[in-house]
Amino acid sequence: MSTSQTPAVVMDNGTGYSKLGFAGNDAPSWVFPTAIATKAASGGGSGGGRPAVAQKPSFLTGGAGPSGHLSSKRGTEDLDFFIGDEALNAAKGPGYGIDYPIRHGQIENWDHMERFWQSSIFKYLRVEPEDHYFLLTEPPLNPPESRESTAEIMFESFNCAGLYIAVQAVLALAASWTSSKVQDRSLTGTVIDSGDGVTHVIPVAEGYVIGSSIRSIPIAGRDITYFVQSLLRDRGEPDSSLKTAESIKEEFCYVCPDIVKEFSKYDREPDKFQKYVVDQGAGRKVTVDVGYERFLAPEIFFNPEINSSDFLTPLPEVVDGVIQSSPIDVRKGLYKNIVLSGGSTLYKDFGRRLQRDIRHLVDARIRLSEQRAGTSVRSSGLEVSVITHKRQRYGPWFGGSLLGQTPEFRSYCHTKQEYDEIGPSIVRRFALLGGPGGNA
Amino acid sequence: MLLLEYHNLLIHQILTERFNSPTPASIDQVIPDFDGVIYHISTPDTKTKILVSLSIKCYNDLIRYGAQEVLQREYGNYIVEPESGYDFSLLLDLENLPEDQEQKDDLIRRVSLLKRNAMAAPFERAFDTHYTLSAESSKFTSESAPSSSDTEVMAIQYRDEEAIYIKPSHDRVTVIFSTVFREETDRVFGKVFLQEFVDARRRAIQNAPQVLYRTDPPLEIRGLKGVVDTGAGDVGYVTFVLFPRHLKPDRRDEVISHIQTFRDYFHYHIKAAKAYMHSRMRKRVSDFQKYLNRAKPENADKERKTASGRSFRVQN
Repeated sequence: MSTSQTPAVVMDNGTGYSKLGFAGNDAPSWVFPTAIATKAASGGGSGGGRPAVAQKPSFLTGGAGPSGHLSSKRGTEDLDFFIGDEALNAAKGPGYGIDYPIRHGQIENWDHMERFWQSSIFKYLRVEPEDHYFLLTEPPLNPPESRESTAEIMFESFNCAGLYIAVQAVLALAASWTSSKVQDRSLTGTVIDSGDGVTHVIPVAEGYVIGSSIRSIPIAGRDITYFVQSLLRDRGEPDSSLKTAESIKEEFCYVCPDIVKEFSKYDREPDKFQKYVVDQGAGRKVTVDVGYERFLAPEIFFNPEINSSDFLTPLPEVVDGVIQSSPIDVRKGLYKNIVLSGGSTLYKDFGRRLQRDIRHLVDARIRLSEQRAGTSVRSSGLEVSVITHKRQRYGPWFGGSLLGQTPEFRSYCHTKQEYDEIGPSIVRRFALLGGPGGNA
Repeated sequence: MLLLEYHNLLIHQILTERFNSPTPASIDQVIPDFDGVIYHISTPDTKTKILVSLSIKCYNDLIRYGAQEVLQREYGNYIVEPESGYDFSLLLDLENLPEDQEQKDDLIRRVSLLKRNAMAAPFERAFDTHYTLSAESSKFTSESAPSSSDTEVMAIQYRDEEAIYIKPSHDRVTVIFSTVFREETDRVFGKVFLQEFVDARRRAIQNAPQVLYRTDPPLEIRGLKGVVDTGAGDVGYVTFVLFPRHLKPDRRDEVISHIQTFRDYFHYHIKAAKAYMHSRMRKRVSDFQKYLNRAKPENADKERKTASGRSFRVQN
């Protein structure tokens, strides 16, 4: 087989966006929504958006007339679909219905996912899967059955040469190796993965996720966008669409050290207020003022009460709690290596503020225990370090690219031959990529 | 998506973005394509000079069949010394692009068709040979026409184990693909699929090229270097016979693009068919599960009472 020099394919399919590319590149080749638009099944279809499934080819039923249900159609209906941005466009027109096959990080609709992969591989990446090794990602606590189904599709439908399924959080840790702050390439650390839908805090010890200590926070990118939008609406800005709010969030927002001081700073320096020009199409342009939301929006991570009363624990406290609930022998490593990943961690000074707040919590606790122990005992302190790096946005993908290009990568994969020998259960275990066993 | 695109979508996208963006940025991406083709798109010296390199397995074969001229015709001034490790390179200077948006788009399109154009050379040569042969043979009557067996068969070893053979003659151009299937299932799907080609011609599309499938080397290529009849039948040979109506100069480019992607198209559809089968299987399983759920007895533990309203209790 001509697999000797072909780069591995790295696919990170997230709830919102899929990141596809090749190992060795510094950015994913394709980033598009994990969405698939299929011909809308008439009569709502059965089984929740299941694609049309033919019972029998029409020449066998003798072309028994239109039975209404798509399942009796023969031909190429199964190829009539779009993925990614094209899917969003197609869904605007008539005839197509959109579906997001991944919910909460886990694949819900395998039919759609299989076709999503099919199009990703053949249309966008343009590779023959038989020639390439694949590195896929999965969320922490992904059920092994889901892994097996993934392997079935990858090996049986696509005959891919080899497969490795890595946990996103572990890859995010690997991605942080590019930061100059990281000296030892350890796979121990706390990953704060904040995407569009949900924020996870995941402790990882030597490449293994400490499942019992994972916490999720219902505050993520989308909530920040909504918050910006509500601020714009309150002020009565001429344009307060979600899209405008999103671009303001991405362009202007940053994290401030102290809200009260920041407010007074804005009063003193009027140039902190900015203007954002919205092109509403058809030549109409309106200007939106951008004010306090610049620092208030990301602040909901640190003071959630300004947004809603449903969830009130600030992010630093959650992180601290996660580490405190982890086994005591890894806590030091977890504090020392807090890695950010995902689009909602990109705000300026996000890492610095987080590090400061967590350090305050830790120092306060150390002082307390010193007091309790009496004056004779002094703690040497605990290092808290939040790693910010350039590849944060597509952290898991980049980590995958980094590990996928190492010469050892292939020896960690399960190959097609092994799969044929053992069956889907083979993917329940993978050797730890770049971990203590390897020399990556 | 019924047919695969001929051009590389990613190169197309990167160049479109770069050509139309006012701020140059550095690029360094390795982009594989079908059949072991690898592109490298980078900005080695300055951000405004984009180097697109191509590495293709059968480059020597292609050069032998006139790829140099085709590439020269398509890319002309953009060609530079090949980057080390690659076979062919183009340098696009962002400061020196055609002014016209249409020409720009045309350039993007041409660059993204790099693989197609490189692979097109032997086909073009075969078509040209066919034209000259048919012009010659038109001078003869059908009885005295020269036999067509003396033309060269062009072999392009485009994958490790698979090759394309092209043989022009005065009344047709024969294109033969050798295919290898690793998987038993794929072989079966492949067979059904190819049968469909034969049937399609019979049923609906009369002017399609003739397609033949066999597991021993066809006569045209028997005895050629690298063609071994193992007798085991693990190598299949797909033969397309292109007749003069396919070879008209105005349809030539389309035909070449089409036939080139045959292998990838073939494999894509086998995989798509498997995906389709899987979705049917899933549907069937979920239907069966519905039946099973229906077969469950309804509230089996109904409390039984006596006429006076007392219930029995299980003693244990």
